[in-house]
Amino acid sequence: MDFYLGLLQIIGVHTLLGLSAYVVLLTGQVSMAQAGFYAIGAYVAAMCTAMFGFHILPAILVAGFLTAAVACVVGFPALRVKGLMLVVATLAFGEMVRLFFFNFTWQVERGGELIGPNGAEGFRAIRFFPENGWEIWHVTGFIWIVVAVVMGALWWIDNTRAGAVLRAVGHDETAAQSIGLNLTAVKVGAMTLGGMIAGMGGGIYAHTVTHIEHLVFGVLLATFAIAYPILGGLGSVFGTLIAVIFIQGFLVEGLRFLGDWRSLLFGALIVLAMNFRPTGLLGERMPRIFKRRTGEKLELKEAE
Amino acid sequence: MLDLVQNTLDGIAAGSAYALLAIGFTLIFGVMRRLNIAFGPSIMVGIFLGAWVHVQWSAGLIEAALATFIGALLASIYIERLSFAAIRGDAALASMASSFALWMQLEQGVSLAFPGRTTAFPTLPPLPDIQIAGLFLGGDDLLVLLSAGLVLLVLHRLIYHSHFGLEMRALADSAEAAAVSRININRVAFLTFCLAALVGAVAGLLIAATDGQITPKFGLWATMKGLIAMMIGGLGSLRGALLGGLVLGIVEAQAQWYLGAAAREIVVYGLLFLCLIVLPGGIAGVRDTGAERKL
Repeated sequence: MDFYLGLLQIIGVHTLLGLSAYVVLLTGQVSMAQAGFYAIGAYVAAMCTAMFGFHILPAILVAGFLTAAVACVVGFPALRVKGLMLVVATLAFGEMVRLFFFNFTWQVERGGELIGPNGAEGFRAIRFFPENGWEIWHVTGFIWIVVAVVMGALWWIDNTRAGAVLRAVGHDETAAQSIGLNLTAVKVGAMTLGGMIAGMGGGIYAHTVTHIEHLVFGVLLATFAIAYPILGGLGSVFGTLIAVIFIQGFLVEGLRFLGDWRSLLFGALIVLAMNFRPTGLLGERMPRIFKRRTGEKLELKEAE
Repeated sequence: MLDLVQNTLDGIAAGSAYALLAIGFTLIFGVMRRLNIAFGPSIMVGIFLGAWVHVQWSAGLIEAALATFIGALLASIYIERLSFAAIRGDAALASMASSFALWMQLEQGVSLAFPGRTTAFPTLPPLPDIQIAGLFLGGDDLLVLLSAGLVLLVLHRLIYHSHFGLEMRALADSAEAAAVSRININRVAFLTFCLAALVGAVAGLLIAATDGQITPKFGLWATMKGLIAMMIGGLGSLRGALLGGLVLGIVEAQAQWYLGAAAREIVVYGLLFLCLIVLPGGIAGVRDTGAERKL
């Protein structure tokens, strides 16, 4: 049972990570900085609870807001560039964050031992949950409440004008600009929101694993973060959730019995999925076969 | 002052290998308008095949080099077929995600086939070290520089003075216009992919032979270095890739000397971030690469 609860925790945390990339991807920006934001959130939240005795909830909020601020500040220069340039610029930022934590040491004495981030060794003993008697299903429940709140909020945003604005910028920047949308504001806003979600996700992640180190937050995690919404498609927030369940639940855990051969099949399945659904599992557009059958009507609808 | 010059010299030697990696990336990106992030791992497959030949039959550098080329070529064709030819042109992100998945496949496959942490690779033939006025250039570095220069000459000849090069440049300019001019786009794209694999394999070979040992991490390393060098230099420009590689090598060497190994990486990523923001066209000053439109 604990295994499945643990798996649910992983899926929940990764859903937050995927959603943070989803928000940014909605505006057509591929950000590889999400792992960096996730790292900032993880370290800040862990410092709040382990070093300064915060409760988990304010700690995660502090982590979320601080990461959002960082994302906002990074967003202004980074969003001057587009496309591949942005991918690499955000990748560079993510790696800078990771290397910063690799060299970052700040420890305080609490309860007779030194606690805090310690450079290459990472940040040990983030023991908020066990110290306060949270059981594994409490933690799992807590994570999924946060996930539900974030997903609900994004779902709501998607159905308001703000969602339409985000998608408008994602579809066609020139058109969006010509109807008077401020591109910079929209993009930086999406980046900020994405940063906040990633920060909160990172904060929760740090507490579920109790030990974080810089290596976790590398390019691989950033690629996973952006792979979720790409694989799931931009149709709705549920696409990301499905992609996370597919990757973490099925490909990573479900195929664990395959041992080292897992990655080979993993790759094959992703390639297959991208070949059949280039716009994602729950893409914004209909599958091509379907489009051909329903003919022109749909084409018109798409053109709108 | 002597340190500065010496570091620059070391940087140029290392940078020439980076430049080859960046050129491989640029060739693929220029023609496909899509990023093959499994480029490094495909080279890694090549050098592991070379190492395998070396260990199995105690082959020398020549045989290992041949095996490296064949391995990189096969891995690249595998990637091209699955992630680029099979996915339609406007889905650049799908190609990227899919090539990432293949990256994991290749890395895992190689780790399964070669369980040790490192594998031995035949070393370069010894060349005398050169010392002039207090400056030092190792024999290995000299050989790397010469080989890289030779590859660049051949590439220049191929791209700017051959019919295939003309087709390639036409395709890079505009796929539609190239198709109307009766250029077989798929064939040219495929051959460019192979060419990039060979250029990358030369870089991989030089680096592996200088170190004398290889690890499966080489894929990530090569992709990152090639990508950074390409971006610093300017996307889709061959001159930019060359410049970017050299600049990356020099900056790395200087930062390593003056600031230490830990700061080196931060300096490199900081430089990349700044370069992208301040000079989106790269050092070579590319104005419109079409990258914005497609990805």
